[in-house]
Order: sequence, then structure tokens, then C-alpha cells
Amino acid sequence: MTEQSIHLRVRRQDRPDSPSYWQEFKLPGHPDHNVVSLLMALREHPVTTTGERVDPVVWDHNCMEEVCGSCAMLINGVPRPSCSALVASLTQPIRLEPLPKFPVVRDLLVDRTRIDEGLKQVKAWVRIDGLWDIHEGAPRIGPNEWAANYLYSRCMSCGCCMAACPQFGPHSDFLGPAPLAQVRLMNAHPTGRYDARERLHAIMGDGGLSDCGQAQNCVRVCPKEIPLTTAIGELGRQTTVQMFKDLFGPS
Amino acid sequence: MSTSIDNPHFLLRRVHSLLGLIPVGAFLIFHLWENSQSRLGAEHYNEQVVAALKGMNYLPLLEIFVIALPLLFHAGYGLVISAQMRSELLRYRYPRNHLYWMQRISGIGILFFLLLHVGMTRIQGFWDPAVAEDLYTHMQALLSQPWLLGVYVVGLLLSVFHFANGLSSMAIAWGVTTSVRAQRLFGGFCVLFGLLLAALGLHGLMGFLR
Repeated sequence: MTEQSIHLRVRRQDRPDSPSYWQEFKLPGHPDHNVVSLLMALREHPVTTTGERVDPVVWDHNCMEEVCGSCAMLINGVPRPSCSALVASLTQPIRLEPLPKFPVVRDLLVDRTRIDEGLKQVKAWVRIDGLWDIHEGAPRIGPNEWAANYLYSRCMSCGCCMAACPQFGPHSDFLGPAPLAQVRLMNAHPTGRYDARERLHAIMGDGGLSDCGQAQNCVRVCPKEIPLTTAIGELGRQTTVQMFKDLFGPS
Repeated sequence: MSTSIDNPHFLLRRVHSLLGLIPVGAFLIFHLWENSQSRLGAEHYNEQVVAALKGMNYLPLLEIFVIALPLLFHAGYGLVISAQMRSELLRYRYPRNHLYWMQRISGIGILFFLLLHVGMTRIQGFWDPAVAEDLYTHMQALLSQPWLLGVYVVGLLLSVFHFANGLSSMAIAWGVTTSVRAQRLFGGFCVLFGLLLAALGLHGLMGFLR
């Protein structure tokens, strides 16, 4: 081992229902390592500090440029994407744990289906075919509105905001911040606007917007710096208006 | 298509939120202001404050429908909401995360304090005419005990915190403050409001100790 060897502690779990355990590794240092490339290097020689050869660590990764969101995990106790976590900037030993609140499949690989379920529940998409005329090209949108909307379009469904949310987890049916922010985005879209009422009704039900407890951890951990709490405030306003429409009409 | 009226979840939360301000929070302001008149002495307090309130038209109805029932709903539904909390204060050391935790813990604390407070004053007054006739002397006797004074100070500060912090998160929930700047400014306003209300309440407690 060189002087600059990297000390790694990984919380491992063999099966979804089996108990987790820690394993320690030491790897040769490399100035350009991020956590994903570190785990790739570990995969070549999966030998613990006690000299035991073990199964390579399982984790999820894809784009390597912080846009796909699949490699989020708990790094030194903080939820963040592992591809943009540069090893040189991390204190050692580097502790890697699976992203909390989501069911573990194996090691650092979690089942993040619940993010997709949330997005489906709130209809986080724009219908490009419908009863309105779609032959005139995309409706125009002002630069200020575009700039505000763009912030929310950066969401990559990594789940960090949900992992940090004290109201979200297996114990509750709260949607979490990411799907809510997509309601804010889609409701502002010139075509998506047509379904704004349905989306608002979706987040006014069980597990919806009002399950937010204003702890605001989400906006602090979001790797894309999405103004999630502003989205929640704006949706508060939209649902307030929708509530009055529902109660007193016209809906 | 389901609407927000068919599913009571949203409306219940908003009712809970609204009741915290009107009438419960409004009553807290009124209550602390009334009791700050303790500094004017026993005679003024018993006659101008207590007797004047007791002579109020429809008083029992007001006590039940404007104070007791809204408070019970706010507290009961608040307990239901609190059960969803899984806060990790050491992992996420952000101020707002601590306020989120404190809001729920203070709510539970206030509930215990109110059982004691209402039991020792309003409820005890039902069978003990001395309490009802000379509330000033009764409060003076209670607050002269250091431990009970401590309980009252803690209960007061928890209530004021819960109101001020609840006001700032209510503004976000209803969509009054959306931008980070607006939320920070209104948060600052709520801090000042809370400090003012706490000073008013402490002044009221001190008035009984003369």
C-alpha cells in the first residue's frame, strides 16, 4: 500500500431480508478517483483489510456525470450521487451506505421504484396528444418563466431529497419533495398546464403536499440545487386556490 | 376524478393549520395581554380582568367553541401528524430541521402544561369558590412555588415558540411565502413576534410575584 492509500468502509447486505454488516478495504490512491471509479477499482481486487477475498460490492451507476441519478448513496453519512463525490475531498475512512428510506436489494443497490410511483401518481409528464391543436409548434414562453422552470427540469430522480426528508420513508405514504417539484414544473409548462388541476388534486390526497413538515432538509442535500422548498411554497399557493375553487366553484 | 373535497386529508391539514392561528393563536395573544395586567395589582386584576371576562355574554359557549374545541382538534390532529416524524437531528444539523423537531416536541410539552394549567385554574374554580373569586391571590400562591413557576415559564415559552414557528411554516404551507428570501424575512418577523410575545407573557407572570 502507498502512503496515499484510500481507506473505505462499506455497509454490505447480501439479500433484501438479511442483516447488514460492515467491511473495510484499503485501495491504492489515485488523484482522480470519485466514489464510482473507486468502487470499480475495488471490484478488480475485492479483498478486505483482513485479507479475505469477498464478493465485489454491488452498486448502481450509469452516466458518471451527475445527470442520471442512479448512483446516489450515503457517503460519510450524507445522501449524494457517488459519481460527483471526489475522493480527494472526502475525509477518510470513507463510509459508504445504501441510500436510506429505500429497500436494499444488495449492498449499495436500492430499489427506487417509489420515486417512479410518486411521479406516476402526480402525472409528472406533459401529454403531447390530446383534444387541443398540437400542430402549431410548442407554445412560446417568456425568458423569465423559462429560467425559473429550468431549475426544476434539472431533477434526475436520484432520491437524495427523499432520503433526507424526516416525513418520508417506509412508515409513511408521503410522496417526497422530488415528485412535488415536478408538479410545480409540469403545471408551469404551456401544454402541461391543461392537467394542472388533476395534478393538484393528486397532491391534495393522502401522502400529498400537506405531509411536508417544512424541515427543509431536501433543499440542503439536493445535488442539483433545485429550489424544492420554493416549489413546495408555490404548490401551497396553487392548492390554496384550488381548495377555494373546489369548495365554492367554479372548479 | 377524485377532488380535494372527497378526500378529507388536505382539508383536515388546512383546518388544523388555520385553527392554530385562529382562534388558538389569537387567544394566546389575548390571554397573555390580559394577564400582563397582573402588574397593576390584585384589585385591578380581579375586577377589571377576571370579573369583566366572567360577565361576558355567552361566555360558556365561547369557552367551548372558540377555545376548548379548536384547541382539542389542533392538539389531537397535531399528535397524529407528529407520529410521522423520523427526524435525524445529528445527521442533518440544519436550523430548520431542528425547528421542525421542536415544533412537534413543544406541541406535546404544551399539552401536558395545559392539562396542569387549566386544571389548576379553570377546572379547580368549579368547586373551589376562592379560586374563582380571587384568582390573583390563587395565582400568586401557585407561582410562589419555584418549581411551579419554572413549569409556567417553560410552558409559556413552549407555547410562544410553537405559535411563532407555526406561523412561519403556516405561511409556506398556504403559499404566502414561496421564495427563499420571503421565507427568511418572514421567519425573522416571526422571531421578533415570538420575542415580543414571550416578554409579554413573562411580564404577566412576574406581575403575580410582587
